[in-house]
Amino acid sequence: MDIKFALETFWSLAAALPLTLQLATTSIALGSVLALGLALARLSGILALDLFARTYVFLFRGTPLLVQIFLIYYGLSQFPAVRHSIFWPLLREPYWCAVLALMLNTAAYASEIIRGGLLSVPHGQVEAARACGMGRLMIFRRIVMPQALRQALPGYGNEMISMVKATALASIITLMEITGVAAKLISESYRVIEVFVVAGVIYLAINFALTRLVAFAEHRLNPQLRPPLPISTELKGETH
Amino acid sequence: MTEPGFLDIISFGADGWGPALAAGAWMTILIAIAGFAIGGLIGTFGAWAKISGGPVVRGCAEAYTTVLRGIPDLLVIYLFYFGGSAVVTAIGQLYGAEGFVSFPGFIAGALAVGITSGAQQTEVYRGAFRAVHPGELEAATACGMGRFLKFRRITVPLTLRHALPGLGNVWQVVLKESALVSVTGVVELLRQAQIGAGSTSRPFDFFFIAAMIYLAISTVSGLILQVTERRFSRGVRRG
Amino acid sequence: MNMSAAVTAPVAIRVHDLHKSFGPVEVLKGVSLDAREGEVISILGSSGSGKSTLLRCINMLEVPNSGTIEVAGEAIRLKTSGDGRSRPADQKQVDRIRSELGMVFQSFNLWSHKTVLENVIEAPVHVLKRPRAEAIEEAEALLAKVGIADKRNHYPSHLSGGQQQRAAIARALAMRPKAMLFDEPTSALDPELVGEVLRVMRGLAEEGRTMLVVTHEMGFARDVSSRVVFVHKGTIEEEGPPHEVFTRSKSERFRQFIKS
Ligand SMILES: Nc1ncnc2c1ncn2[C@@H]1O[C@H](COP(=O)(O)OP(=O)(O)O)[C@@H](O)[C@H]1O
Ligand SMILES: [Mg+2]
Repeated sequence: MDIKFALETFWSLAAALPLTLQLATTSIALGSVLALGLALARLSGILALDLFARTYVFLFRGTPLLVQIFLIYYGLSQFPAVRHSIFWPLLREPYWCAVLALMLNTAAYASEIIRGGLLSVPHGQVEAARACGMGRLMIFRRIVMPQALRQALPGYGNEMISMVKATALASIITLMEITGVAAKLISESYRVIEVFVVAGVIYLAINFALTRLVAFAEHRLNPQLRPPLPISTELKGETH
Repeated sequence: MTEPGFLDIISFGADGWGPALAAGAWMTILIAIAGFAIGGLIGTFGAWAKISGGPVVRGCAEAYTTVLRGIPDLLVIYLFYFGGSAVVTAIGQLYGAEGFVSFPGFIAGALAVGITSGAQQTEVYRGAFRAVHPGELEAATACGMGRFLKFRRITVPLTLRHALPGLGNVWQVVLKESALVSVTGVVELLRQAQIGAGSTSRPFDFFFIAAMIYLAISTVSGLILQVTERRFSRGVRRG
Repeated sequence: MNMSAAVTAPVAIRVHDLHKSFGPVEVLKGVSLDAREGEVISILGSSGSGKSTLLRCINMLEVPNSGTIEVAGEAIRLKTSGDGRSRPADQKQVDRIRSELGMVFQSFNLWSHKTVLENVIEAPVHVLKRPRAEAIEEAEALLAKVGIADKRNHYPSHLSGGQQQRAAIARALAMRPKAMLFDEPTSALDPELVGEVLRVMRGLAEEGRTMLVVTHEMGFARDVSSRVVFVHKGTIEEEGPPHEVFTRSKSERFRQFIKS
């Protein structure tokens, strides 16, 4: 392996790293909000909302992400109404189309993970909170959500890794993130292995960091797994 | 050329895109089946390596699944497509051919999908093997079954029964992943939809129909898998 | 049980000076035991004393570090491999001898993907290569004998523990074994299901089958077995006909054991 070429490749790919990270974080962040909404819709007990969320999840999990990207990037321009709407400046941008597709897609998977987390909270705890006189919102915020989050975190971690990998598809609609640059370098230099290894290492590093981050968050969210605090500091540990 | 309407796109008539889309869908299924089968082969070896390999073999299997869990599938497809082309071109030049020779996208795609799903199937088979009650394997040993007989009659069927739900998930992933093979120029469902979208001014209709066909394939195969699972899991203890 | 016949009958299983360690822990410290044809030997002892290990060494589910095992006069050949561990010298011989010994496990270990009948005919058809029709005929007779003929097309998970264990006994019998090894066959059963399994085992003893039974059922040891062996910390601490050892044992430990 040619070290000089590998280094050059590394710097070219590293320059594309911010775009990959941006795509991933934006779509994960926006997707999580939508996912929570979908999960709540599933659990709302309101038939119309439940049906909507079910259909949404079915459609987005049953079709390839690339088709969803194409539908948004190429497909929407078919409709004059879209072309003349206020969203057009965004929807003609490959970046925002990619973000939109990734976000809609991850929301479908993540909503199921969140729903599982919410369902894992024992009903008795909700009743206990109600017995203490807590309101619905407070119960959700103080009792249900923290535990659901804890339960959902490992699964959500995997979904985030999937999203980092999925950002590679943005290269197909001209965005030069890491995989896009890698493909360009390969077609210019024909040095497939070197470029693949360097790009692979960068992705592995991102996902390794992400895994550590999730593990750290898991540790923070699971005080019962940590050794007990000495009595004097217990109260300080409790203030959030 | 007149603009086709939505119905012309799906029609099987003279100007319809029906036959082309159907052929594309068939190609998608073929890629998925080939990739899934290659992945099954790799997964069997991978699981064997992780369960009963020595430290080196186990380490290799561990590295393989970790790496493929962490890198984009598209990158793997590029590796096989461009890598395969580089090899074929080099061989071509050896025999006096000139210029770039392209590697068959179907083979590159099936291999890439196979390698990726092989990592997933490794985990599925390993988990399934661990779910098998060890006493049932010991009972086979105790009545004098040799290694191979025990593997064929007891270990494989018991492991497969536990693996079926996981394999169903892997199949769904493979099916969706096959869409990425369109970047190699193989005219599968998505590539066919792209061709249609490019030669008309109805991109949404084409991609929408492609999406519906994917949905149909995954729903039907999901139902088939469910029936199979029910048929084969009779008597299986879980948990 | 005819005692005098047992004394003169040929030896079915001979265990001589058996040693077995797991890592640094020596679990069997030189155990010798002869089982003559037609004998029913109850192996007693507290948990962790090495009873299961002894039984499992006989059919090589555990390979002993040293000592000899003979089944019907044929010694199982062992060799010492490079790392100092002993291994069977001839796997074919081990497989054949295993097929001549029927083993019944504490946790039944029926194959969950096969019906009761399929469990019983599996090894006769595939290991002994008997014709399938003949194996089925014999299997049905055995299932009738253990009292679960009506369950032959059920999967094990749909049977009670007692029924599963009786099916496992039928599976072992289908190999026409020279001797049967039972490892706490009733310990995993609800108390009300113990009786039905013990009844089947008593029937087998009365047929004159050679049986080695690890058990905590004192009634079975006293009334059914021809000999009782008490294992303590990897050695045989007491041995003899039940009417002798249960009434006047020299071993303080054994007297303590049967009291508790
Ligand atoms: N596979 C094994 N590996 C390590 N130790 C074992 C193994 N099997 C049994 N032992 C140990 O050997 C001792 C005797 O076990 P066992 O023969 O099962 O006793 P028993 O059946 O009399 O209760 C126990 O201390 C047990 O922990
Ligand atoms: Mg035991």
